[in-house]
Amino acid sequence: MSGPLTCSVSDLSAMLGPNATAAAEYICGQLGTVNNKFTDAAYAVDNTYLLFSAYLVFSMQIGFAMLCAGSVRAKNTMNIMLTNVLDAAAGGLFYYLFGYAFAFGGSSEGFIGRHNFALRDFPTLTSDYSYFLYQWSFAIAAAGITSGSIAERTQFVAYLIYSSFLTGFVYPVVSHWFWSPFGWASPFRSADDRLFNTGAIDFAGSGVVHMVGGIAGLWGALVEGPRRGRFEKSGRAIALRGHSASLVVLGTFLLWFGWYGFNPGSFTKILVPYETGSSYGQWSGIGRTAVTTTLAGSTAALTTLFGKRLLSGHWNVTDVCNGLLGGFAAITGGCSVVEPWAAIVCGFVAALVLIGCNKLAEIVQYDDPLEAAQLHGGCGAWGLIFVGLFAKEKYLNEVYGETPGRPYGLLMGGGGKLLGAQLVQILVVAGWVSATMGTLFFLLKRLGLLRISEKDEMAGMDMTRHGGFAYMYYDNDDESHRAIQLQRVDPGSPFPRSVTPRV
Amino acid sequence: MSAALTCSAADLSSLLGPNATAAAEYICGQLGTVNNRFTDAAFAIDNTYLLFSAYLVFSMQLGFAMLCAGSVRAKNTMNIMLTNVLDAAAGGLFYYLFGYAFAFGGSSQGFIGRHNFALKDFPTLTSDYSFFLYQWAFAIAAAGITSGSIAERTQFVAYLIYSSFLTGFVYPVVSHWFWSPDGWASPFRSPENRLFGTGAIDFAGSGVVHMVGGIAGLMGALIEGPRRGRFEKSGRAIALRGHSASLVVLGTFLLWFGWYGFNPGSFAKILVPYESGSSYGQWSGIGRTAVTTTLAGSTAALTTLFGKRLLSGHWNVTDVCNGLLGGFAAITGGCSVVEPWAAIVCGFVAALVLIACNKLAEIVQYDDPLEAAQLHGGCGAWGLIFVGLFAKEKYVNEVYGAAPGRPYGLFMGGGGKLLGAQFVQILVIAGWVSATMGTLFFILKKLDLLRISEKDEMAGMDMTRHGGFAYMYYDNDDESHKATQLQRVEP
Repeated sequence: MSGPLTCSVSDLSAMLGPNATAAAEYICGQLGTVNNKFTDAAYAVDNTYLLFSAYLVFSMQIGFAMLCAGSVRAKNTMNIMLTNVLDAAAGGLFYYLFGYAFAFGGSSEGFIGRHNFALRDFPTLTSDYSYFLYQWSFAIAAAGITSGSIAERTQFVAYLIYSSFLTGFVYPVVSHWFWSPFGWASPFRSADDRLFNTGAIDFAGSGVVHMVGGIAGLWGALVEGPRRGRFEKSGRAIALRGHSASLVVLGTFLLWFGWYGFNPGSFTKILVPYETGSSYGQWSGIGRTAVTTTLAGSTAALTTLFGKRLLSGHWNVTDVCNGLLGGFAAITGGCSVVEPWAAIVCGFVAALVLIGCNKLAEIVQYDDPLEAAQLHGGCGAWGLIFVGLFAKEKYLNEVYGETPGRPYGLLMGGGGKLLGAQLVQILVVAGWVSATMGTLFFLLKRLGLLRISEKDEMAGMDMTRHGGFAYMYYDNDDESHRAIQLQRVDPGSPFPRSVTPRV
Repeated sequence: MSAALTCSAADLSSLLGPNATAAAEYICGQLGTVNNRFTDAAFAIDNTYLLFSAYLVFSMQLGFAMLCAGSVRAKNTMNIMLTNVLDAAAGGLFYYLFGYAFAFGGSSQGFIGRHNFALKDFPTLTSDYSFFLYQWAFAIAAAGITSGSIAERTQFVAYLIYSSFLTGFVYPVVSHWFWSPDGWASPFRSPENRLFGTGAIDFAGSGVVHMVGGIAGLMGALIEGPRRGRFEKSGRAIALRGHSASLVVLGTFLLWFGWYGFNPGSFAKILVPYESGSSYGQWSGIGRTAVTTTLAGSTAALTTLFGKRLLSGHWNVTDVCNGLLGGFAAITGGCSVVEPWAAIVCGFVAALVLIACNKLAEIVQYDDPLEAAQLHGGCGAWGLIFVGLFAKEKYVNEVYGAAPGRPYGLFMGGGGKLLGAQFVQILVIAGWVSATMGTLFFILKKLDLLRISEKDEMAGMDMTRHGGFAYMYYDNDDESHKATQLQRVEP
């Protein structure tokens, strides 16, 4: 904001000559009103911007639900979509009760917040409801990611427990470290107090959201093991194909759409001029962020298209969709502080990282139905490194405050300190999430609450736990289709020996 | 923008009496700050408006992907959705590298732009990143349209080539002619330089986007010929029905949703008062544009509903969806410069135009899986004519700058010059796109890169080129469903 109007009656009065105090007061009064009206307008504009960005981020839940549904087998569709709905709903409750407070609640020693539980003493002078809603939509995004890794074989009770724990505690603590003005590694700390003189730069959450979701998923999937039939005894991998490519593409496009709230929205304010009265301001940075986001995803998609054509011989739409999303996960950390051409590099490498991580997963027989750990964990980590290499000094100063001599991207001439901070972030996020979520998943396994039985897995969870198959394209009384009809299983009844009537 | 605060210290000083210079400077300084803060606020508001409009236009990719998927047979679903994803991704790269520069890059001789390649020297004083993103969203919409005409029988390599060429060159040049301040037919030129005293009026792209996409599709579909089984030897047409009406309706609604960015967003700025301090400003025009859009689509949908009931005997949801979209394609050119009642006329005629174009296509044995050439080409052309008939003088002056004596809609008393300019636009677009894209498709055919083989077409492209069927409702190991199982074909 350009400097507020500071009208001094005594100064003006002296300048106006004798008996001019009244005139000076009058004029200053008018300008004071003008100042207030500007302040009002700025709040309205910024809240509009942030609220609509929050709605966009929320729409990513739809996208992820469709992506998940399309990527799993038909017999587990209702299960995974229910987990997506519950991530949002349970997340709403737990983030309100605890999560926001841990993440952004007042001053702290740097590890965890401790005010504003259940939005007590809220809104504050600096944070309004729009900010809470925006942060909530981020929190449920992180939880959604994890559900992809453990799909098709996890007990529903386990979903509820891990999801509440992740959204209510694990994720908020991480966001406190890197996004709160008090976080120990945050670039928003006062300039003399920052990690390596910079703080770790993770603008919209390659680490805070994507790595957290991905590493949590990694532990769930590791602890419970691969789906049955995924790896033969010989070690050969069998593709357990999703049931609807249309839903995968629909979901991917919805995520792309929502990412325009995720990345540019993380500025939280749009009415911030860099040089008052000029056309260049925070709105330019926001537009540029939307462009870097677009270019990274587009490049990752094209790279994956041609890469997979070389590797497998055909043009694979679901792989291209995953590559696209990997590009977005990677650019998320640095979208606001790099040039558009750098975003092209980011997307290109992200596609290769994803292909590499998938190959590695196959080799170690790690099964992740949504490739979530590889995509969000792997590409998210690359995204943090990318910032340490390509962050531009000018943009860092605009986004994180003018600080002469601040470190910036190594390949841009800014030294190695920023990269160092990024590596610290990667290690710390991996360590914290592994310690917390790994322990939780291990406990759940010990208590027999994690994985479903073999019988249930073969029949599919919709049948056994959710009241019936997700799809019914032919009526119950349609004789001609009896061969492919499935019977509804009543809840509480023992599971029938055969699912279809013999023809 | 209302007039800037222009505080003159000399004027104020003399008014305040002797020794008042300092006071005058002080007050003027304060008012100067006020002026700057208004400017800042306006930039923030206008950028918010344009960015969110761009996101809405982007969501039309999603809508078009679902519309396409639902309109083709299941065995080609993955193919057409991949083309939609790639239109957006390849478009992103090529529009950034070349397309934006050709379309809006700096001053030109009127044919093609030549600055800002790869966004060099950007942002400018007049165009920021939000404008680039908005224009990119439009460019990929045009490329998406064409993919519908050549669906189900085109090699994937041909898609990549035509899409890059269309988004990176053919479309940007057209948008330069009609939307750049330098374009030879643009209504944004200085008044003495405008074609027929007006320039061609195509507010959000009935011609620039819809005709370009539709004519390109027409060329592709003509050159490669109809899908096998579409027309019997006797000439009778067989409907090759799409596999999911739900996806068609989902896609149509998403396109409707996104059109609220496509049409009203084309104002690019919202904070422009027409009379400062009053409630009537550009925001009113924007709202009115959203209303004309809605009315045209709605009327077209209802007209199609009853029209098809008469023609075929039943209420057809997929036809109504196409009619709705035809109404939108038609109103796109004049949405900001006509009265709401005129939008109803527009939609009504658009529905009839679409039905007629479809009949014509059947007669000449032209096969277009999405009716894209008929809808976007036919209704788009009608949309341009519509502007020449119904454009209202007051609105044209508000949107394109007050110019006394400017031509406007023929039926509104504005003479025939605007209609003339619209005809020029129709002819020029049809000619340019036919010449460029027609040549490209012809070359692709000669190089044997255009159409897939008969065997691949019968088996479906998902099996043969995309790794397998799009849908799998039953597991591989579920014995009871073996009858309906499809086996994966190795490449």
